[in-house]
Order: sequence, then C-alpha cells, then structure tokens
Amino acid sequence: MNNIEETLWNYIDGSCTPAEQAAISKLIASDESYRLKYNELLALNQEFAAIELDEPPMAFTYNVIEAIRKEEALVPLKSTINKRIILGITIFFAVTLTLFLGYALFSMDWSAQKLPNIPANLSVDIKAPAISADAKKQVFEGFIFFDVILALYLLDKSLPRKISRNKTLSV
Amino acid sequence: MQSKLSDIELIEQVLTGNQALYADLVKRHQRFVFTLALRFAKNREDAEEIAQDCFVKAYRSLSSFQQQSKFSTWLYSIVYTTSMTFLRKRRIDTDSIDDDDKFIQVENKPSAYDLYNVENKSRSFYLNQAIEQLLPDDAAIITLFYKGEQSLEEIGQALGMEANTVKVKLFRARQRLKEKLERNLKHEAKELI
Repeated sequence: MNNIEETLWNYIDGSCTPAEQAAISKLIASDESYRLKYNELLALNQEFAAIELDEPPMAFTYNVIEAIRKEEALVPLKSTINKRIILGITIFFAVTLTLFLGYALFSMDWSAQKLPNIPANLSVDIKAPAISADAKKQVFEGFIFFDVILALYLLDKSLPRKISRNKTLSV
Repeated sequence: MQSKLSDIELIEQVLTGNQALYADLVKRHQRFVFTLALRFAKNREDAEEIAQDCFVKAYRSLSSFQQQSKFSTWLYSIVYTTSMTFLRKRRIDTDSIDDDDKFIQVENKPSAYDLYNVENKSRSFYLNQAIEQLLPDDAAIITLFYKGEQSLEEIGQALGMEANTVKVKLFRARQRLKEKLERNLKHEAKELI
C-alpha cells in the first residue's frame, strides 16, 4: 500500500520519469484501487496546498529594521574606521621619520673624533630603592597570577565569538 | 515602482547603500519566515524572536549571498539553522518528543470555543491543528514544499539534505499529517455525536 502511495505521490508531484508517468497513468485508468487512491491523494494534495500562512505581528518589519539599526550603532569604532586611512597615517609617519633621520644623519659632523673631557673626580652614586626579596617574590607571583587569569578570561570571551562568527559565515 | 523589483534587484540596491529597501525584502518574506519559525518554536513569541533574528542575520550576511540559489532558499536555510540552534538552546530534543502523548494532551483540552464552534470549524482549522502536532522537521518540509515555492532540490539546499532524502521525508510527513488529520476529524465527529 505504501508503495502504491509513494508511486502516486511521485506521479502527483511530477517527480517521476516520463516512462513511469505513462505507466502510472495507465494503471490509474485501468485499476480501480489505483484510481480511488489517486483521487484520495489528489484531494489531500489540494488541501495541503491550501495551508494558510501565519501572520506576524503588525510591527514586525519595524522591529527588524530597528534591531538592525541598533546593531549597527553598536558596531565598535575599530571596525567602522577605514583601513586605508590608518595605512595612510602609518605611511605618512614612516616617511616623515625616515626623512628626519636621514636629514639628521646627513647633517651630522662625522669628522669630530675627540670625546669631551670628563672630570676625573666625577662620582655618581645612584641608589635603588630597597625592596626585600620576599616582597619581590610576592609581587612577581601576583603579577603572573593576574596575567594567567586575564589570559583565561580573554580566551573564554574570544572563543564563543569566533565560533558564532564562523557559524554565521558558513550559512 | 520599487515593489516590482525582484529579490536580487532589491539586494543589489541594499548593498549599494539603499538600506531602507531591506524593509521591502522583509515585508515580502516575513509571513513565510514567521510560519516556518512557528513550525519549530510552536509558540508565537519565540517564532517572532527567531524570525527577527533570521532577518538580522540575513542582512548582516547579505554581501556573502552568492546568488547561486534563490534568495528565499538562502533565507530559509538561515531560518532552519537558527531554529535548530534555538531548539538546541532550549534543550528540546526533537527526536524525543512523544508525538502521540502530545496529541492526547491536545485532545483532552477542549476549550469553550471548541465546544460552541465545533460545527463552524473549517477543514483548514483541523489541517493547521494537525500540522502543529507534527514534528518540527515534518511540519517544516510540508510548509516549504506547499507554501515556499521550493523544489525538492531547493528544500534539500535549505535543510542541508539530499533531494532524495527530502523526497522520502516529504512522503513520511504527508503520511503522518494525513493520519493526524483523520484522527482529529474522527475525534471531533465523536464529540458531535
């Protein structure tokens, strides 16, 4: 029975080959059980085709556009800045620095070979602030601990974002 | 004038900066997207949330739309993915939903409206009721095939399946829908007697 139904559905959908189509047409014309089933499925098909679509709320379009507008407003400044502008500024500074350095090197008097005289009795006494070894160790451990926590936090934040971005792009 | 533009023309206009035209695309497809989302979510609030999310996602990825398929097919694939993600988030295991239990639950809750208007109910009411009782996948395939103007190949593209798999699933979905419809009508007939 299932086989007959499947064949007839394919016939109704027009998803069978022309040869199959002709064979089924003959069967419907000659076989009473086929004809009854065909008429039943045809009526059902018409009924299914008359399914009504549900209507979304009145403000649906407005809500979508508003959601897009809000999302665009939330886009970080970093992604809205034109990368060409950043590149232009970088090139400008690189060129300016190179020119200044070149000019400085070019205008330097390389012939001066004598170093200025340093007084023999010059003594410089620089004292570093005294920090105990324990305090140093605690500060170092605290620093490492803070770094590890920060790294784990950033990793946790970035991973779901990357996953969701990949999913959206793959659609 | 603008309403006569095709989906692809509207997309091109949106991509060139006329973003207001995206509202036309939304208006054109919102009924179907909402209905499809409703097939999965089973309640209007969640369906609205899913449908809205789909249109926002589609807008965001509009530039990556290759135009190798119809816009509707591409949009329905987003609806399917978003709905499945929604169901997963809600921890609804679609495979474990006991269809028959759900049916009985619906059967045992005749409202006052049902009792007074049972004679006036059209067959389309029972058909919609039967669709609501189907599994989300079955309901989505039936809706895509009959109302989405999608071929089996396009439905396969939207749902990430082979066309032949869709054909088999469509056949089974129709059988289940037929059974549900018959059971619902039989039940109502008993109530009338």
